Formats: sequence, C-alpha cells, structure tokens
Amino acid sequence: MKKTPERIESLAAEYVLGSLKGKARNRFERWMMESGRVRQEVWYWEEKLGQLGDRVPEREPPESVWLAIQHRLWPQQEKSLAPRQAANRIWPAWSLLATAAALVLAVLLVQQPAPEPTLSGAIVQADVSDPLWLVSESGRDNRLRLRSVAATSAEAGKDYELWIVPDKGDPLSLGVIPVGDVYHVELTDEARETLSQSRTLAISLEPRGGSPTGAPTGPILHVTKLYEL
Amino acid sequence: MINTEVEQEELMTLLVAVARSDRQAFQRLYEKIAARMFGLCFKLAGQQELAEEALQDAFVQIWHHAGEYHSDRGSPLSWMLTIARYRTLDLMRARTVRRTAGDEHLEHLEDPRSGPLDHSLRRAGAEQLTGCLDELSDVQRDSILLSYYRGFTHDELAQALSSPIGTVKSWIRRGLMALKRCLER
Repeated sequence: MKKTPERIESLAAEYVLGSLKGKARNRFERWMMESGRVRQEVWYWEEKLGQLGDRVPEREPPESVWLAIQHRLWPQQEKSLAPRQAANRIWPAWSLLATAAALVLAVLLVQQPAPEPTLSGAIVQADVSDPLWLVSESGRDNRLRLRSVAATSAEAGKDYELWIVPDKGDPLSLGVIPVGDVYHVELTDEARETLSQSRTLAISLEPRGGSPTGAPTGPILHVTKLYEL
Repeated sequence: MINTEVEQEELMTLLVAVARSDRQAFQRLYEKIAARMFGLCFKLAGQQELAEEALQDAFVQIWHHAGEYHSDRGSPLSWMLTIARYRTLDLMRARTVRRTAGDEHLEHLEDPRSGPLDHSLRRAGAEQLTGCLDELSDVQRDSILLSYYRGFTHDELAQALSSPIGTVKSWIRRGLMALKRCLER
C-alpha cells in the first residue's frame, strides 16, 4: 500500500483513536518507523485527541500499583532485602516499603464454586516453583485462611507477620503466621472491608512474637494482591 | 486538574529529571499524574485490574523513555496520557475485554455536553476540540467518542449503534477527517 498523504492522514487518525487493529495496525507502525511525515501526523492526532482525556474524572489508584512499579524498575533492591541478607535491617517507616517490597502478583487459583464472592490468591517467590502460602477468604464467616506450602521457617528469633495493606493509611496486622501449618484468622468487619477494597496483603519479617510497635518494623518480604473468585 | 502552563512546566521539569534517572522526581511525577492517568485507563478498560496493570506499565515506560519526549508530541501530560491509553488498549486487545451493548457509558456519550464528562469542558483546548466535535453528525461523534473513551472495536460499535460495520467504519473515517478540517480552520 502506498503512503499517499490522504492515507497517512486517515490511518494516523485511526491509529491514535485505536480503531486501526491487527495487521493494518502493525503495517502502520512500520510506516511510523520509516517516515517522519507519518510520525508527525500521529503526533498531531495524539495531541488533538489527547485533549479528550482531560474530560475524564480522576481516580485514585491503589498503593499497590506504585509498589509494583518500583519492584519492576529496581528489583535489585528487593534482592538486598531477601530474608537471609536483610534479617538485621530495620525499617524505619512503612512508607519505605515501596522501595524494597518483593511484590509478586498472586496467581489465580481454581477453587470449588463458592456461595458468594471470596478473595483468593497466593504468595509466591520468583525462584520457588510452588507458592509459599495459599490464601483464601470465606465471606460467610469472615475468615482468612493461609495454608503454608513452600514457605520455609523464618530464621532464629524471627517470625513472619501478616498485614492488610489498605489503599490509604497504616497497615493492619493479622498476626504472626506459622510455617508448615494452616493459619486461620478472623477478620473484624473493619478489616474485611479494608481488605475487600485494597485486596492487598503483605508479609514482613519481625522479631519473635510479632512487631512490638503495631506497625511493620522489619523488611517487607512479600506483597500480594488477591483476586475475587 | 493539571492544565495550567505553570503545571505543564513543572511536569516538564520532572520529566527532564526522570530522563536523568532521578527517582525522587519520578515519584513526584507519579503523585502528580497517577490519578489522572488511572481515571483514563479505568474509563477505557472499564475494570480495575486491567487499568492497574496499564498504569503500572505506562509508568515503567515513562521511566525508560522520558528522554524521548519532545514538544512536537504535545504537552508532557498529553504525551504521558497517550502512553497509558495505548497500553490500556493493548491489554484490552490481548485479553479481548468485551462489554455489553447496554453499557451505561453509552448514555453519557450520546450527548457529550451532559453527564459527568462535562466538567472538563472548562479547558480551553478541549473546548476547541469539542466545538469541532459539535460540527460532526451525531453518529460520527458517538463513534469517535466510544472508540476514544471506551476502546470499542468496529464490531462493538456496530452492535452498540445497531449499524453495519462498513457504515461504522466510514462514520469514523469521515468524522475524523471532518474534525481535522475543522481544527485546521
């Protein structure tokens, strides 16, 4: 297909709008690489149609998105905080979680059909093939169930502590979690509400018996997002 | 709303710093525009998870490509929103996100001068474009707005507007060209 000015004009507009699809879209992207004239036309439409974006209402994204972005951009920081190397590090504030969180998106698990929507997910680690813990929630009795699968014990003198990470505000402790066992925790209405909104859990490494302050004090080892089943 | 020149200037300064791998500037940039961008992704995707993923991807891209921004690509904000919009569309296509024809947003879009979209008409640039949108026929305008805001495919448009695909395609094509002629006047 020849790059006539009319075609460039019309295809660029459709490209930016998004209605140009499949092979035609790929072909046009090639045109963009080949020709400055084509790129100019695309930029024209990006700027003009972009004005429509100003009419869309704002929406606050959950905190977990920012954590995930940092995790993807600077994963080496997470490595430095892997349990073994980082055991002695003290984290002064939860806000710093972001730079070091080992954020892993939960894998969707297939479960028995539930009577009402429940949250489910897994806490995984990149170099371990099985999930460390499986998480499931029962909407009926307000309980969260954490089954340890491939999780290994925290080092001597330490415990893992489970937290709900709200969209805004301080994390909510769900207590110290055992390894090699099933852990049930009853959620208060407030906790359940917070979790159903943020759907985000985190696990931190704490002194034996859990955080002495009520807020995470040790490195955040895992952050996971639950899915609705 | 970020739309004054001062704010665009601030975004430009942040973007320049991000191009030099300044993480603090990156965080400030995120704080400034994430809600804006997420609003757009969510509107387009119509679902939280996909919108979150698109927002994430867009910021990762902005971190890597901040140095490629230049003023021919529109304002810094519009450049970044464009990145987010393309990413959302890509994810929607990959997942073939489908919507029902009885979509609530259709009602708002049938007349863009009413409903929640109305607020942003305040912006001069949008007014210019909207002025031109008003010169299009109703079906041309609806097809363009549904594609832009909701990422409707030709098939979905044909269904939503109860018209053959060929007709819908030509509405879009002619509508866009009429829009350009108007914007160039």
